[in-house]
Amino acid sequence: MASSAATPPPDAPVSGGQRAEYDPVFLHSRREAIVIFVVWLAGLVWAVPYCYVNGYVGNVEPESVATVWGIPAWLFWGIAVPWLAADLFTVWFCFWYMQDDDLGAAPEEESDHDDVGAAAREEAR
Amino acid sequence: MPAADTLPLAAVSASNAALVTFLVYTLAVFGLAALSNRLLQKKSFLSEYFLGSRSLGVWAFALTFAATSASGGSFTGFPSKIYTHGWILGLWIGSYIVVPICAMGLLGKRINHVARISGAITVPDVLRDRFRSPGFGLLAVSLILFFMAFNLVAQFKAGSEILNTLLQDVPAFRGAVGFVADLKQDAGILNEVNSAYLVCLLAFAVAVIIYTTWGGFHAVVWTDVMQGVVMVVGVIIMLPLALSQVGGLEKSTAEMKQMTPPRLGLARFELAVPLAEGYSLPSPWFALEDPQGTRRLFRVNRALAIPAGRTIIEDVKVVELTTASEIERQFARLQEAREVRQTMVHVAQVKRRQIAWTDQRLKGNAGGQEPVDRGRLQGERERLHEELDRIQQLIDRPGETGGVSALLNADELNVAVPTVTWTQEYAYGAGRPGMYVTGPGPLPSRLPATAPRPDDADRGATERVQEPSPRSSDLDLSDGFLPLSLAISFFFMWAISGSGQPSSMVRLMAFKNTPTLRRAIFTVAIYYSLIYFPLVIIFCCARLLLPGMDLESDRIMPQMAVTLTSNVGQGWLAGLLIAAPFAAVMSTVDSFLLMMSSALVRDVYQRNLNPEASERTIKRLSYLATLLVGIVALVGAVNPPQFLQDIIVYTGSGLAACFLGPMIFALYWPRANVPGCVSGMLAGFGAHLSLYFTGSFVNGSFFEPYQILNFDPIVVGLFVSFATTYVVTKLTAPPPQDLVRRYFYRDAARARQNIG
Repeated sequence: MASSAATPPPDAPVSGGQRAEYDPVFLHSRREAIVIFVVWLAGLVWAVPYCYVNGYVGNVEPESVATVWGIPAWLFWGIAVPWLAADLFTVWFCFWYMQDDDLGAAPEEESDHDDVGAAAREEAR
Repeated sequence: MPAADTLPLAAVSASNAALVTFLVYTLAVFGLAALSNRLLQKKSFLSEYFLGSRSLGVWAFALTFAATSASGGSFTGFPSKIYTHGWILGLWIGSYIVVPICAMGLLGKRINHVARISGAITVPDVLRDRFRSPGFGLLAVSLILFFMAFNLVAQFKAGSEILNTLLQDVPAFRGAVGFVADLKQDAGILNEVNSAYLVCLLAFAVAVIIYTTWGGFHAVVWTDVMQGVVMVVGVIIMLPLALSQVGGLEKSTAEMKQMTPPRLGLARFELAVPLAEGYSLPSPWFALEDPQGTRRLFRVNRALAIPAGRTIIEDVKVVELTTASEIERQFARLQEAREVRQTMVHVAQVKRRQIAWTDQRLKGNAGGQEPVDRGRLQGERERLHEELDRIQQLIDRPGETGGVSALLNADELNVAVPTVTWTQEYAYGAGRPGMYVTGPGPLPSRLPATAPRPDDADRGATERVQEPSPRSSDLDLSDGFLPLSLAISFFFMWAISGSGQPSSMVRLMAFKNTPTLRRAIFTVAIYYSLIYFPLVIIFCCARLLLPGMDLESDRIMPQMAVTLTSNVGQGWLAGLLIAAPFAAVMSTVDSFLLMMSSALVRDVYQRNLNPEASERTIKRLSYLATLLVGIVALVGAVNPPQFLQDIIVYTGSGLAACFLGPMIFALYWPRANVPGCVSGMLAGFGAHLSLYFTGSFVNGSFFEPYQILNFDPIVVGLFVSFATTYVVTKLTAPPPQDLVRRYFYRDAARARQNIG
């Protein structure tokens, strides 16, 4: 976070005698992406094996599958409950964990004319 | 088989009220397009037309993201799969528990940031600017055009099918279909294309192309918002209706535990007298009695089209119910007065056409045919008139003419005598109860187009039964719908490949600021929770309410909407419910149209051919490109592809295999370079495509890809793409320092702020 942003990477470009620091938006985005990936992995590791062990033919007798509120129990505990947990995690992630960053202004937002076209013209020259 | 044993029955029909609701919805879409067009006059054209000026707020961003992702597949293909395979679809979409946070959070903040740094307004723009490589940009454009073209055609088909279901019994629509059929016949073109489909395709395509061309990105976003609301409201209304009509979820699942997969087959229908003009009997049921006295109940796939002048219709696809309780329930349902009345209305239409045919022959006979023919025709005509009078009496005064079950067995209702010529069992789960409530789920086998016969002399004479395969008595999980490896693949498919869709990436470039992103992720999470799991419940209930639709399950969503609402006497609601899948298709099509036109105008024309082009030229070209892309897709959809959901899966997974790896490395790895990312993109494309090509040789169909260790090609494609990008990057020179500094370092950020 702030501390990691303050630590310049060893191969960082040097500017005015000092090593440049990573852009905080990049660092925050990367850290948040890693957390999200871990959550996806946790979902995979729980949902698929749980449903397989408790809901597939061979592991369970098809005609005597237990239900919870009419949903097959393997699906209730394997998907429905984790779905609720994932929603709660999303609330925490969005309102307590994810950083608000200044994303900057696009060229066309900095002027009234169509700077998108201007950028293309400049590049062509 | 004696004629009295057959019971032709019709499906439910939509009302005119449904059409009115639907038209109101379409008008609202056009109203939003008009408002968007006014915005276009005030802002920078390109950025506004293709990216909404990067100003989307929470609701607009969340719902446009959700609605675009929830394509026609979510409301046609997905319900169809639930219906066919049962509760296992809950695991199939299991990764939707994390799709919102993955699809929006993995790339969202960073891609928006990078696009602002460079001023990119398309996905190829981002890649081109991030690496300062026009060639990379053009490669990305080519791949987007390649995949989106396929997908657009499939989505056009989905929209037309939904419209067809809604309108099939509306008199004005049937008139239009007749008009188009005559036009086709006169012009001698498009004879193979179904007239009803053609009318719907034209209506759908014209509506979407006009509002997208007219309003641009904001029209697409605002209509997405409305469509997103329609979708969730549709699901919220359908859920309690479905649950109450099956007697609760516990009861529904208990019934599903007893259910065995149906048999699929082919049948032959024979009429005593041909029709003067063609007529379609909507999905009739018929019953046969086998030599042991057991009643067998069949449902015809789609409408039974009876062409003019023909007496024999061969190889009609049928589904045979195999669960005793289901057969009894369906018999009871078919004997309800409303069902019988609807059937008789259709049968009366057929009788009138048969009378018209005899009249034509009798008139034509004056000059020449044998008197004996004439006598027979007159006899037929009198018999048909008597039958029609009786049917009309039953329609007009059902209470005065005896019991309903007596009506069902009346000979005059038998407009076409069926003979089943071929039946086959499911590839997995045949004859076994409990398949719909466990994994891996039942799997149908492919039905041949014509009944296999030992020789022509035997054509259509008797029923032949497919020999059971040696494995059909075993339950080998890999033969089922979702074996373990595929369950893992689909966890990749939705959450990870969803992040790799260029159409989603564009939306991630359009939100206003990070608070908008945070709130939108939360909103989409709740939104998806309200849609996807309830859809699984609703269409598991559909197995009880609408049995026998296994061969036309792509139509289960609109059919369910019509059934649920007409069962509670609120037919007008069907319009709103059918608007939900229609909205899903529209919201995807409009986004894809705009993506393709932006690829042509921005990425090909402005950035490569004519950077000096004036805004006026760009504006005209943008309108023109959107229009042209739409028209090309419309033409492509005239002869529609057969496998709707398969095409959607192919293009979605293909785009992810191409774009996700290079984009993640481009955004998060300063060391990423052009050779690495280009190689990764091409390798992902090649690996994915080659598995589909191999499938066409090994499995006999392009849409049955070869699966390494039973994993879907998406897993292989992603792995190859990521690995190639990494390895090639490591083996090649690092990127220029100024590029790295521009996109990854704080001093560049400060410099940009100072400039601002």
